Amino acid sequence: MSGGFDIDVVVERRPHKGGPFRLEASFRTGAGITVVFGPSGAGKSTLLMAVLGAMRPARGKIIVGGRTLFDSGASTSLKVRRRRVGIVFQDSLLFPHLDVTSNVAFGLLETPRKRRREKALAALETVGARDLARLMPGELSGGQRQRVALARALAPGPSALLLDEPFSALDASARKTLGDMLLALQRETGVPFLHVTHDLGEAMRLGTHLVVLDGGRVAQVGPPPQVVAAPASAATAEAMGTENLFSGTVRGHFPARGYSEVDLGGTVVETGLLDVPSGETVALGLRAGDILLAVEPVRGTSARNVLAGTITATGSRGTAIELHVATPVTFRVLVTTEAVDELGLRPGQGVHLLVKAHAFHRLL
Amino acid sequence: MILSALRLSLLVSALATALVAVVGTWAGWILARREFRGRELLDALLNLPLVLPPTVTGYYLIVLLGRQGFVGGPIYRGTGWSVTFTWVACVIAGAVMAFPLMVRSARVAFEQLDRRHEIAAASLGHGRLSTFLRVSLPLARRGLAAGVILAAARSLGEFGATLMIAGNIPGRTQTLPLAIYDAVISGEDRTALWLSVLLTSVSVAVMIGAGRLGRGARKSS
Repeated sequence: MSGGFDIDVVVERRPHKGGPFRLEASFRTGAGITVVFGPSGAGKSTLLMAVLGAMRPARGKIIVGGRTLFDSGASTSLKVRRRRVGIVFQDSLLFPHLDVTSNVAFGLLETPRKRRREKALAALETVGARDLARLMPGELSGGQRQRVALARALAPGPSALLLDEPFSALDASARKTLGDMLLALQRETGVPFLHVTHDLGEAMRLGTHLVVLDGGRVAQVGPPPQVVAAPASAATAEAMGTENLFSGTVRGHFPARGYSEVDLGGTVVETGLLDVPSGETVALGLRAGDILLAVEPVRGTSARNVLAGTITATGSRGTAIELHVATPVTFRVLVTTEAVDELGLRPGQGVHLLVKAHAFHRLL
Repeated sequence: MILSALRLSLLVSALATALVAVVGTWAGWILARREFRGRELLDALLNLPLVLPPTVTGYYLIVLLGRQGFVGGPIYRGTGWSVTFTWVACVIAGAVMAFPLMVRSARVAFEQLDRRHEIAAASLGHGRLSTFLRVSLPLARRGLAAGVILAAARSLGEFGATLMIAGNIPGRTQTLPLAIYDAVISGEDRTALWLSVLLTSVSVAVMIGAGRLGRGARKSS
């Protein structure tokens, strides 16, 4: 029995905007926060609606925390209200005609009427929103609304909580605060969370398990650092919008000079100043299209990293060419066909990679 | 005579509106939320009274409810009572004519709701009826209130269908619009004028009252 999500479904959506859509998702994760990551149109929301019970899969199984919610083989399909699965939407969707307390008390059907208010206030307390109790949803900020939505979904003690891009409408600082709160709430309640996002940084920070969804299929499943260090496929890397994902060790900081040094595993690079202690592990992303390639050694450039390497493989990617360059750490570099022809690029050839310090972005 | 016509008009309008508010909300919900064969046909049929001459709608009501009617016949043979030429017929005529306005408003109001509100309510353990009463209905109240106002105004001014099925019996089925018609036909210009002013005043009062109701509903949202 798994404490998380055990899902194996085929969901077919009727022709909608842009034709029919088919989701084939199969993965199993343990307790904690399962982050479903993927670009828009990957099928993330469809997956959530299937788990919630608002969309019926053509076939398959949905088992959450050991409870079977859907099983086409056994003709089991619990109604939405019997699933005990909470949901927090991107735009929170609090009931606008009810005040904050009534919103949170809405799902407390099993609590005696007299105690509902008290229990709702306790739930608000856990998300630090006790002082908002008397306000109407229209009077709240985006971050406050999401707190209340969290309290509303968790108050009845659900067996799982689904979060549909809950932070995408918030600013960076509210995201950080709410992300920390989410991690704490998950630990306290022990309820498995299924968190959908298209923000890789958020996925890395929150996820106990990472499910990469692309084009209606699961591209990869695993602990985030593992997925980052070794994307199983170009599809995964591309879905993440960051073809180069490195797990490195911070070697030192040079605040006065504005950079940090990171060992990517044999190749040391300069990055923008990182807020990570020396010796710690850090995940860095780098887009294949952000790397310059030169066949001659280059001098007098502002690029802080000039890395000598050897082309180990070439492959076409749409109308462009993707090169693999060992420095010895392998970099994926995206160049045009014209550049490959003009420079005569081929496997075995020595080249130099130019990477700006700030082209590396921190993921974890 | 004038007073009884006014009293009857208000009674008929109030009852017809109440009937239409309940049934029209339900019909609007079905049209907005359920997908079934013949939905468009049903929608067209419900809207017919808007485009047909009221006399034609009235004629169909006679065919349906008259002493020889499909429904009215058996009732008459069984009980000796017929709805035609009674004040109840005025209510039916007013309700049928006002019905499409309510259904349209309700349908639009429900279609504009974000369905995820209903999904959220269901995920919090609420069944269909509870979700409807606690979430969908309150969220659609502005559109529903507008429908009720239109229905009230329409039934208050009903003339053609009423004349067909309820007749024009002073003191029994003569509503204000019918009384005005009588007054004009028989050359009682002063009565016609006073009745028209009266009906206009009552209508204005109804609209203002209903408008206040609508604004009150909006304020609390």
